[in-house]
Amino acid sequence: MLGTVSKQLRSHPALIPLFVFIGGGCVMCAAYLARLGICSPEVSWNRNGNPEPWNKLAPTYQYKFYAVNLDYSKLKKEGPDY
Amino acid sequence: MAEDIKGKLERYRTAPFDSRFPNTNQTKNCWQNYLDYHRCQKSLESKGVDVAPCDWYKRVYKTLCPISWVEKWDGQRDDGTFPGKI
Repeated sequence: MLGTVSKQLRSHPALIPLFVFIGGGCVMCAAYLARLGICSPEVSWNRNGNPEPWNKLAPTYQYKFYAVNLDYSKLKKEGPDY
Repeated sequence: MAEDIKGKLERYRTAPFDSRFPNTNQTKNCWQNYLDYHRCQKSLESKGVDVAPCDWYKRVYKTLCPISWVEKWDGQRDDGTFPGKI
């Protein structure tokens, strides 16, 4: 199948940008989904080893992308340790 | 530490901003504080220390959680069917 595609591409080289952009889009989608699965603090893959990943964050962790008028560096842990 | 918590409890107005739960949906915030209160009680009781600091979590969950949820969870804890890990 790859042979057929490359033969057709050689006779119609104008199609190469199509592959580049579609391929780039697929890579970006996959990368975003992987980032969500790995870096999101709401996701736990290992129920026994990592049951509540949001509790491992610092109190100054900024979850939102843009903070309008909240100074995250001044936040502290509120509750007592136990 | 205990004095800070007593001071904080005296000046308590409402649940403070928690960066773990920044969005409008505060369900998890309520759940987490309910769990934290009971875990704190269990942990400090087993150490033989005064459980008063745990009241911070109790105030926060009482602020955030609907009363029906709290009653349901209390009933589940008594029955032994509570889904969370305490």
